[in-house]
Amino acid sequence: MNAMERIGLLAAGKLPDRVPVICNLLEQGALELGLSIEEYYSSGEKVAEAQLRMQRKYGYDNLWGFFYVARDAEMLGCRKIIFAKDGPPNVGELIIRNPADIEALTVPADVGATEAFQELRNCIRILKAEQGGRCPVLGSVVSSFSLPSMLMGMDTWLQLLLTGPKSLCRELLEKCSDFCIRHIQALRAEGIDMIAYSNPVASATFLTFPQFRELALPWIRRDFEAVGTEGLVYFNGGGVINPQIDLIREQTGVGAFYLNPLDDISEAKRIVDGKALVTGVINDIRLISWKRDEIEHEVARIMAAGATGGGFLFGTLVMPLYIPEEKIKIMLEAAFRHGIYPNNATLPAR
Amino acid sequence: MLQSFVSRYYEALLDTDRDQALALLTKSLEDGVSPEEIVFEVVTPAIERMSRDLTRDLATTLSQHFIAAQISEAAIEMLLPLFSSAPEIKGSVVIGTSSGDFHGLGKKIVRGCLRTKMFTVTDLGVNVPAERFVDQAVSLGASVIAISAMMVHTALGPDGALKVRQILRQRGLEPRIKIIVGGAPFRFDGNLYRSVCADAWADNGIEATRVIAGLVKEVPPA
Repeated sequence: MNAMERIGLLAAGKLPDRVPVICNLLEQGALELGLSIEEYYSSGEKVAEAQLRMQRKYGYDNLWGFFYVARDAEMLGCRKIIFAKDGPPNVGELIIRNPADIEALTVPADVGATEAFQELRNCIRILKAEQGGRCPVLGSVVSSFSLPSMLMGMDTWLQLLLTGPKSLCRELLEKCSDFCIRHIQALRAEGIDMIAYSNPVASATFLTFPQFRELALPWIRRDFEAVGTEGLVYFNGGGVINPQIDLIREQTGVGAFYLNPLDDISEAKRIVDGKALVTGVINDIRLISWKRDEIEHEVARIMAAGATGGGFLFGTLVMPLYIPEEKIKIMLEAAFRHGIYPNNATLPAR
Repeated sequence: MLQSFVSRYYEALLDTDRDQALALLTKSLEDGVSPEEIVFEVVTPAIERMSRDLTRDLATTLSQHFIAAQISEAAIEMLLPLFSSAPEIKGSVVIGTSSGDFHGLGKKIVRGCLRTKMFTVTDLGVNVPAERFVDQAVSLGASVIAISAMMVHTALGPDGALKVRQILRQRGLEPRIKIIVGGAPFRFDGNLYRSVCADAWADNGIEATRVIAGLVKEVPPA
C-alpha cells in the first residue's frame, strides 16, 4: 500500500495497513544535498530532489511542496529574509511599520505569478511528476488571522487586534484573508494534495475561547468559504487547539486537524467523534535529548491514544536540525511498528 | 474598597482593556489610596495571578499576559515617581532575544513583570549579539542576563546563550553575572537550559521574576 492509498483510505473512513506518518523534514534537505540553507532554498529543483530523497530514505507518507513560513511574507513584498546556518529562515524586514503601510499593502491578484512563488511551483511540479498519485504532496499557508504577525511583528499585531483601531485591524485582516485565499488557489492550481492551514495566533495558547469566537473564527470562515475545505488541514502552528476544534469543525466543516504536542490526543478524538481526521503530534524538540527507549515509549503512547478506530495520523511539528538522523529513524521505525492495524480492527460508525 | 478595586482592575486586565485599567488606577489615587498600596496590593498581585492562571489549564492566555504586562509597566511608570521614598530595587537585569531571533513578545512580557516587581531592566531588543549582552551587563552593573529564544536554533545554537556563557567564562565574570533563558523551546523541554549552560530558565514572566530574584542572591555584592 502506498502513502496516497493509505491516506485515501483513512479519508474514506476505512482502516489502512498502518497509521500514516507525516514527517516535517524541511531544512534537513540542505544537509542531505550538502548545501547551505540559503543555497538550498534558492532552487525548487533542489528542494524537490531532497524531499524525494528523504521520503525514500525514511519511508514516511508525505512530501513537502513547501519551503518556509516566511515565504508568505515574501509573496507580499518582504525583501529581506534572514538565513540561519542551522534553522528555518526568518522574516528580516517587517513590511508594516505604521498605519499607512496597511493602507498601502497590495495583495497580488495572482499569488502564483509572484516571484517568490516560482521556485515553489518548480518544486511542486517535480514532486507531482515523480510521485503524484503515490505520495501526497503537502503545501502550507499562513491563515489570514496569523499572517499579520509576520508582517508587523507579533506584539504590534496583538496590540492592534486587542486595542484597535478596529477599522484598521479589519482592513489588514481583509487583505490578509484575500492573500490567504489566493495563495490556496495558487497551490491548488499546481495540484497540491493537501494544504496545512497554519493558525498559531488563533490558538488557545494566545486567545481565550470568547476571543477566538469573536476575533478569529470569522476570518477562518472567510478564508474557508472562499475556497472550500477540500484537502485543507487545520494546523496548530505552535499553540494548542483542542478547545477550539469542535467549533471550527461545526462552523467550517474542515475535515482534518493537526494537533499541538501539548494537546490531549484522546480528547481530540473524542471531540471529533469520527467526523474529522486527527494528527497526533510528538514533542519533537525532545527528540534532541530523548534516548531510544524514551522515543519508543512516547511513540507507543501517542499511537495508543489515537490509533484505535482509525481517523488518525502520526505527525511531527518543527523537527529541528539538531535532532540526530539516528533518532529520526528510531522515531519513524517505532511509528511504523506501533501503527500497524490488527486485521480484525473494526471501525466506529461515521 | 480596595478589594473591589482589585477585582475590577483584574477584570480590566482579563479584558485587555488598558484604558479601563489605567483609569481605575487614577481613580484610586484620587480616592486617597497610596501609590505604594496600589503597586504592592493591586498591580503586582494582579500580574502574579495572571501568571498562575496562565500555567493552570490555560485559564489566561499569552495575549492577555502581554497586554497585562504592558499595563503593569505603564502603571509602575505612573506610580513610582509618587512613592514617598524610593522603593528597594531587587536587582538589575539586561534582557533581549538571542542572536538571530526576532521574536520579541515573550521578552516584553518578562520585562513588564520584572519592572512591576521592582527590578531595573535594560531591554536590548531583538537579535542581540552575545558580546553586547555581556558588555551591557558589565557597564550597567547587571547581575543577570536574560535571553529569550523562540526557535530551537536560536536557543541552542552557538551564537546564543552558549556564546554568552563562553564570554563570561573567558572574562572571569561567571561569579558576577548569571544567565537565565526562556522561550518556546525551553517550555517544550524543561531540561534544555542545561544544554546551553544557562544557570536557570523560567516558564513565564512571573516565574522569571522569582528565579531571577534567586539568581541575584547568588551574586556576591560588588
